[in-house]
Amino acid sequence: MAKKGFGQSIPPTRRIKNFMRLFMERVVEAKGNETKIHQFLKSKKENLDETLLDALPSIFATLTADRLPNERDNIAALFGTFGNLVQNFPLGDQMLNLELSIAAYELSLQVYTREAFPEDWAGTQNNLGTAYGARLRGERAENLEKAIAACELTLQVRTRKAFPEDWAVTQNNLGIAYSARLRGERAENLEKAIAAYELALQVRTREAFPEKWAMTQNNLGTVYSARLRGERAENLEKAIAACELALQVYTCEAFPEDWAATQNNLGTAYGARLRGERAENLEKATAACELALQVYTREAFPEKWAVTQSNLAGLLVQRTSLTDNCIDLDTAITLLQSALEVTASGSPTFINIQSSLGNALSRRYEHSQNSSDLKQSLQAYKTALDAISPEHYDRKEIWQALPTTQSILGGRLVRDGQWQEGLQLLLNSVNQLSTSDNPLAHANALFQTGRAHEILSDWDNARLYYRDALRLYEHLQDQTGIAQSSAGVGGVLVSQGHLEKGLAELAKARESYHQLQKHDKAAEVENLYQATQKAIERQAIEAYV
Amino acid sequence: MTTGKNIFRQSRNNVQRLGLSEIPFTESPTDLQSGTLQNIFTGREKELGQIFNLFQSRERRRIMVYGRLGIGKSAFLLEVLAVLRSEIPEMLTTYISLPANLDLPTTALIALARAMPEDEWAQQQLYQMGIPTATILKERSAEVSASFGLGGKMGEKDLPITKPQYPTVSLDTLLERAQEKYPQGVVIGIDDLDKQNPSVVRQLMHDAQGMLKGRAWFILTGHPTGMTGDLLTSERGLFDLQLKLEELDQPTMYQMLINYLNSARIDNDCTDPTDPRSVLPFLPETAKRFCEVSLGKPRLFNRLGNTILSTAADLQATVINPEVLEQGLRAAAPTLRQQAALNVQEERVRILLQRRGSLSDETITIEDLEQLGVRSFSDILPFLERLEEADLAHQLNQDAAKAFAPIPLPSADDELPPIKMS
Repeated sequence: MAKKGFGQSIPPTRRIKNFMRLFMERVVEAKGNETKIHQFLKSKKENLDETLLDALPSIFATLTADRLPNERDNIAALFGTFGNLVQNFPLGDQMLNLELSIAAYELSLQVYTREAFPEDWAGTQNNLGTAYGARLRGERAENLEKAIAACELTLQVRTRKAFPEDWAVTQNNLGIAYSARLRGERAENLEKAIAAYELALQVRTREAFPEKWAMTQNNLGTVYSARLRGERAENLEKAIAACELALQVYTCEAFPEDWAATQNNLGTAYGARLRGERAENLEKATAACELALQVYTREAFPEKWAVTQSNLAGLLVQRTSLTDNCIDLDTAITLLQSALEVTASGSPTFINIQSSLGNALSRRYEHSQNSSDLKQSLQAYKTALDAISPEHYDRKEIWQALPTTQSILGGRLVRDGQWQEGLQLLLNSVNQLSTSDNPLAHANALFQTGRAHEILSDWDNARLYYRDALRLYEHLQDQTGIAQSSAGVGGVLVSQGHLEKGLAELAKARESYHQLQKHDKAAEVENLYQATQKAIERQAIEAYV
Repeated sequence: MTTGKNIFRQSRNNVQRLGLSEIPFTESPTDLQSGTLQNIFTGREKELGQIFNLFQSRERRRIMVYGRLGIGKSAFLLEVLAVLRSEIPEMLTTYISLPANLDLPTTALIALARAMPEDEWAQQQLYQMGIPTATILKERSAEVSASFGLGGKMGEKDLPITKPQYPTVSLDTLLERAQEKYPQGVVIGIDDLDKQNPSVVRQLMHDAQGMLKGRAWFILTGHPTGMTGDLLTSERGLFDLQLKLEELDQPTMYQMLINYLNSARIDNDCTDPTDPRSVLPFLPETAKRFCEVSLGKPRLFNRLGNTILSTAADLQATVINPEVLEQGLRAAAPTLRQQAALNVQEERVRILLQRRGSLSDETITIEDLEQLGVRSFSDILPFLERLEEADLAHQLNQDAAKAFAPIPLPSADDELPPIKMS
């Protein structure tokens, strides 16, 4: 028996041989009916495993050895079909399904060369591109580059003139790859995606190809939701319009899956919408996601179910800030936690869900003041960061959320008496935020650190950090920050016996709180101010006497 | 005679021309023999009194000596230990500089084991950690050993010390054995806590609470930023005495200069401050000026003294008159900078400090900070402290702010009149 190793294929076991033989028979019988073959795959899904992946090259070699050219073509076609079916198969291990389809396409391309079979070569390249675009193994940034490269190779053969329909298919796929691309400038990639979709729509008109038109409209909707150039509000209107156009064709009855996907995307766009009534938009958004979940059930479409759950959770978190309703937050956290149960660890969805969970938990902490929420939040952010590729455009956002959460948790722990751990977290977060491009988060962390030192009666350090926070808040013209940190500096100066200097800072804090209409805070500062003034008077009298 | 020998003798003659057998200044008190240290140690009467009062009781105590960099914490600790050793022979005293990457119990264990060369088990402990044992070193002198055996040098060489598995237990066992021989107890002096990252020290102290409350006396030294700030306050009760060392006053500095010079002077043992001979080769006016620019900081005093005497020797001077002193001080600034080997960011902070005359957390602007590529004073504080450590800056005594200023030395670029030799 040949050893398993790099570039080598292990011979298939009897089980795998049987499975592939049955598969080929069913493909021939099904005559292009994908559903029938999916039913077959569903009944045999345990065969879609690593052993099959390892054995595929050997099976292909055996099947194509000493065959007539037309028989070899058939095998190549069969492998191409296998790749397509497995790629679209919603069950089993998604990561493995994609590996199987990539392996099948690449084997098929050994026969389908560009010279001998330009059209089949192009078709397979196109499919390979979609598989790389969705691939979960390997470095995501690299996979997306491969996806783009494959689409561009395809377009060398599939010209608009010669194969307008196929050309449009690949333009659509190229758009998808560009919209997900991690390398290069994100804004530019999204523009390229929009351009590719617009090209596709020139051929894919509603009249001629209603279904494909709807697909590209849906895609266009998602990319407009994410677009960085142009006016944000306008882009979101375009996104909503595109999704609604897609839904004219994608009805629940005729195309349940596509309908669900577009409902989910419509939900995302409404959730982000800037025009119209905020509460109403959020209602529309949650309603759309809930519709999507009618089709995307956990059993039938676990991966898509998880994505939609996570989107819905995000909307609920947003709604909380309008309604102050903690039940929504609890629901969101439960939704996210259950979504994680079916999500492949390290996948883009996994990262998004962890990051959303971090956000939801830290929001809940604001209400609950339960430090275990903060700890879990920190853990979720950390998990997301550990899994995310350094090139990922969301990385920065999550990366910044981490030290911010750290500083809140640190401050909290110090107040709870765990000053050792708390101070360490605070100093870490100050350190990390000092080089970030989020000066407000940095100022907040400095303030929290000042406060922690004040609680520890370490006046010198408290004053130092409060002053740092105050200087930065003043620079950022953040009134709340100015108010709270002047109060901090003032309080510490008074505690140290620098009464006059303290008084000046307290007056500043009082003024800022009045401007912010926070009269209760202003009154607190006023009390300290009065007490300090009395102390100064007393000192003056004592000196006189 | 070879040229090298000639130059060496010339060089020695130059120092001798100043009436000195050698240049007595050294910035590291651990380099001094303890007898020499006792001769030159000056002042701190009040602080010594506070510590020695504690030693009149049988109760074991924990003492934290803190103060700014270069203020003389190590010399103070060594002086305390030397006095204790001569006054209470039944008490074992031991000194160690905190090595990098080591916990406090292991550090204390090493210090103690080194002071017990006759104890086989103690030597076994050292041997297992890969540390030369005291029997090989032959001489039993706990303080001096720090300078050639362990101390800061271990960090530099990064010797792979295999830490004992249960250092607190090992230490306790060794203390028990030590107490059989030294009924008056054991004093462990751990120096240089501030040479490590404050958060590391904070953790070290936190972990070592059990040890600190154990069988030995402990005297620890460090400087207040970060480390002692929160330790002194939130860990109330951890230390029986927190002793702050401040800058020395001018009369004490003057007396210290006399003591230093006297320890190396040939044919003159005058120590009476009212007699001008006591400060030779300085003149009373240059001695006074030298003490003033030293800002009450012993380490700066030693560093400057070294450069001044070297410059005077190079000039083949016999006395340090105002011109020679000025020349020496001019040479000091570049020497200090060279010794400091600042990195780019430290150099940027130094230049800004020079330009502004002083920097403080109260008055610094966001523009100044942005110029340095940061957003907060706490970001540049480590650099300012590094400058302070290198004697390129000093902290001003401002009550409500953390403020730094450059050491006021004459610039080397200024024109200087040629020196006339008598």
